[in-house]
Amino acid sequence: MTNLNAVDPAAVAQDAHLDGADVVIGKSTIIFRRFMRNRTAVAGLAIFLGLTVFSFIGGFFTPWDKETIDPFNIGMPPSGDHYLGTSQAGIDLYAMTVEGTRISIMIGLIVGLVSVLIAAVYGCTMAYFGGKVDRVMLFVLEALIMMPALLVVAVATSGGGDTLKKNLPSWLLLIIVLLVFSWMGTARLIRSLSMSLMQRDFVKAAQYMGVPPRRIVWRHLVPNIGSLLVLDITRGVTGAILAEVAFSFIGIGIKLPDVSLGVLIGGATSQVQTFPWMFWVPLTVMFLLTGSLAMMNDGLRDAFDPSSSSVGRAKKNSAKKAGK
Amino acid sequence: MSSGTFIEPADPAQAPAEQLHVAGNHPPSDAVLSVQDLNVSFNTENGLVHAVRGVDFHLMPGKTLGIVGESGSGKSVTSLAIMGLLPPTAEISGSVRLRGRELLGLSDKAMCAYRGNDIAMVFQDPLSSLTPVYTVGTQIIEALTIHNPGMSNQAKEARAVELLAMVGIPSPKNRLKAFPHEFSGGMRQRVMIAIAIANNPRVLIADEPTTALDVTIQAQVLEVLHTAQEETGAAVVMITHDLGVVAGIADDIMVMYAGKPVETGRVDDIYYNPRMPYTMGLLGAVPRVDVAEKSSLVPIDGIPPNLLHTPTGCSFAPRCPLVADACLTGEPPLLPAAGDTGHKAACIKSDELGTDVDALEIFSAPPVPVSRFDSIPRGERATVLELRDVRKHFPLTKGALLKRRIGTVKAVDGLSFDIREGECFSIVGESGSGKTTTLLEIMEFHADQDGEVVIGGISNNRAADAKTKAAMRREMQMVFQDPTGALDPRFTVYEVLAEPLQNAGMDKKAIRKRIMELMKLVGLQPDHVNRFPNQFSGGQRQRVGIARALAVNPKLVVLDEPVSALDVSVQAGVINLLDKLRAELGLSYLMVAHDLSVVRHISNRVAVMYLGKIVEIGEVDRVFDNPRHPYTRALLSAIPVPDPHFERTRERIILKGDLPSPLDAPKGCNFATRCPVFAALPAVKQEKCLTLEPPLEAVRPSPAAQALESQPASSADQKFACFFPDGELDEDMLVVHDTADPHAP
Repeated sequence: MTNLNAVDPAAVAQDAHLDGADVVIGKSTIIFRRFMRNRTAVAGLAIFLGLTVFSFIGGFFTPWDKETIDPFNIGMPPSGDHYLGTSQAGIDLYAMTVEGTRISIMIGLIVGLVSVLIAAVYGCTMAYFGGKVDRVMLFVLEALIMMPALLVVAVATSGGGDTLKKNLPSWLLLIIVLLVFSWMGTARLIRSLSMSLMQRDFVKAAQYMGVPPRRIVWRHLVPNIGSLLVLDITRGVTGAILAEVAFSFIGIGIKLPDVSLGVLIGGATSQVQTFPWMFWVPLTVMFLLTGSLAMMNDGLRDAFDPSSSSVGRAKKNSAKKAGK
Repeated sequence: MSSGTFIEPADPAQAPAEQLHVAGNHPPSDAVLSVQDLNVSFNTENGLVHAVRGVDFHLMPGKTLGIVGESGSGKSVTSLAIMGLLPPTAEISGSVRLRGRELLGLSDKAMCAYRGNDIAMVFQDPLSSLTPVYTVGTQIIEALTIHNPGMSNQAKEARAVELLAMVGIPSPKNRLKAFPHEFSGGMRQRVMIAIAIANNPRVLIADEPTTALDVTIQAQVLEVLHTAQEETGAAVVMITHDLGVVAGIADDIMVMYAGKPVETGRVDDIYYNPRMPYTMGLLGAVPRVDVAEKSSLVPIDGIPPNLLHTPTGCSFAPRCPLVADACLTGEPPLLPAAGDTGHKAACIKSDELGTDVDALEIFSAPPVPVSRFDSIPRGERATVLELRDVRKHFPLTKGALLKRRIGTVKAVDGLSFDIREGECFSIVGESGSGKTTTLLEIMEFHADQDGEVVIGGISNNRAADAKTKAAMRREMQMVFQDPTGALDPRFTVYEVLAEPLQNAGMDKKAIRKRIMELMKLVGLQPDHVNRFPNQFSGGQRQRVGIARALAVNPKLVVLDEPVSALDVSVQAGVINLLDKLRAELGLSYLMVAHDLSVVRHISNRVAVMYLGKIVEIGEVDRVFDNPRHPYTRALLSAIPVPDPHFERTRERIILKGDLPSPLDAPKGCNFATRCPVFAALPAVKQEKCLTLEPPLEAVRPSPAAQALESQPASSADQKFACFFPDGELDEDMLVVHDTADPHAP
């Protein structure tokens, strides 16, 4: 009996080894360290944050706003008065770009976050309850996947949605429509992932302890698919921004007087030759936005990758770097 | 330790020559396979891992070498290095000679001429070592075609049939066209052996060939390996972690630890006269299925060393109870023990360790714990769990759209037993016998279950509301088989242990106090609570799992194969812990295990299950010493015992075939299809077995036994379900290994 409680030398040696490597660090710290080690991802994060800040405070650097027409400068290239030139209606492009970026980022973030949240709850619920609940919910999901999103967006934002349009700004309407059609793929992925988690013994252990289902989903399932969720958020944000741009480009998304990057690009395509700045400026901003997110996504995937989740490796890499 | 017996470690450069000289009775010129100073290291992210460090052995034709060691001791890497199957990143040095020809350094292409021809291998997992898209015939013929390009198709097919017959596959000619999925695990392993011996190899390497199989199937496969060796005259290298498996078939044993052989010798020397503390510990850590005497197991504390760092002293020193300062200076070389050149041990104290040294004393095994319930007769103790006629039938349906019911799988079919306070009740049986389903039925009790589950006096029929259910849940907790999977990787140990307590509505301060208690109780350091499960070793993780189960003070702990995922040396510590907790806390256990030795060691009562039914139940010593049901007898005789003499001379019942699918379960006695008694019965009596289902009845002792025991017959706690328990056994199913002992003095 004494032997069981006695502190054996091997365990002490092991402890010393573990303590020396200070392994007892949080998982989030490890992920953060790994992410910070990826220079591209950090650059992506910086660009994204820079654009977000720009979209909020950029308006203060110019006296113009997106509605004021400057009758003396119609269709002028960039100058000291108008940093990025004006449109053929005489509206300042800088002011419009700031506004458009803000709308695009807002749409992206809201759609990205909320759709992943819906997907997580929906997918986990399906996996946890299984059986009939699963079958019905899966049917709804499949039905939504098969619905032609493009047509619904077109109808909702232009023809059929007149009453809606009066009450809601066009960007909010677009967010709602995008949300309805963006979460299914992720939900299905999360369902299959949680189903495999459900087979794991620790979920069974919690069930046998009498932990209520709600708590199991929240404490055991969601954290264990957390890395996937974070990845899906960045992916969802990119997807939503691109979808907004695409819908607005073909004229069924954001409607004037609201501006977005898609609206700006769409409106300028016919005049690339005469007013090139009208086309290239919003396009560059869009590339910066989606590109930075893609760069971040790459770094996040590496940071979360379970196959490289050994602490020793992270330590070693940093040690190597320090050595260099 | 006198300085005279301590010999300076030999210069590494001269080591092979030294070896040749020392291995006097094994002149390497005769050896079919000579491995000298084999070193393998892998370059990993963490640095250079020295997986194998200086393995030497010479294998004589027709002999069997058993390589024994824990996981990570370098056994498998050694075998892969011999076969030339290691990835090119591995650094290999030393020499591997097959009939005098050097194999190391040969290109992959050049090795192909040897692999499968002169030297063949049987792998651990039969389920994944056959290609699923080809028939087994094609795969055997492929092995023949590669090395015999001139052989005609008919000759190859004839040889394939011959091989399948040799490994005991019924109607081999038809089975040639069968696909791997049509075979069970044991059958597939037979096919693997058939492929391995197709070209009459000189050396056959079997890497844990039976680890993935049931005991009865293990006995069959070991028998097949034995025949295969006799037929081909091949030398066999048998790699295993189970000392019992090699006891009966090996001629020589090599015990490996931390990539190094620490003791080599003839099988009897190793088992009866170990000279290295590690070997002694390993032998003491395994419970014996044939011994009733209750003694604690030998726990080897700690974990094997990290092979990233070359040990400066003896690699076993941190775990060795006999460690002295001299052990820490330089690794001891493998030297003849007690002047016997055939028996070598790598320990500076090997001369002091003789036959008279008790491993239990050396490793200071804990005393046998005594429970306060042990003195109370079973009938007077309260019932913790009772099952009455529990059934679990799964409908088997066919058709995609209209699901027709084509049959019923009777996973659990009318199970009744009870567990009293302070006792350990075990369920044993082959996989597929319904053990796990029984556990699930108990753990997932619900009101509309078929049969009755009474937990702590509350029947499942009344478990409709959440409150009753919670009360029942508090009475029993579960410990899982795989300690890694049972702990949420994102929880610290504190969170893991806090979960059941929070659920029971305890406040934060009380939870903290209880967790510290629990950590101490299971022998973990309390300051480890902030660690994540992946920072613990397997044994420690299982301790965390046990602590979690004990958190809410349950009466009954359900153990699902609690030690089968652990290494032998760690296993002993966990078993001792379970024993201690049962005694100290007055717990009851319901255990499911396939390892009958563990069951015998820890249980008070045992039930043997076959196809969803209990075929024999009773007090563990009664059932194991005097098994009445032929299935119990077969199961017990299939367990390998780490005792070479006993293994060689004992009579084994080798069951024919596999567990039948529960779908086509026979009408009468379930076991009739494989029963050794049934096979020897006259047709009239066979009729009774086939039509009537034998009931579970108490043993009626013979008048003589009654007189001896001087006890009323009704008190015998043993029931079995068989009409002819005393029938003759079919001779075909009885196997006795050669009694001619090659090492007899």
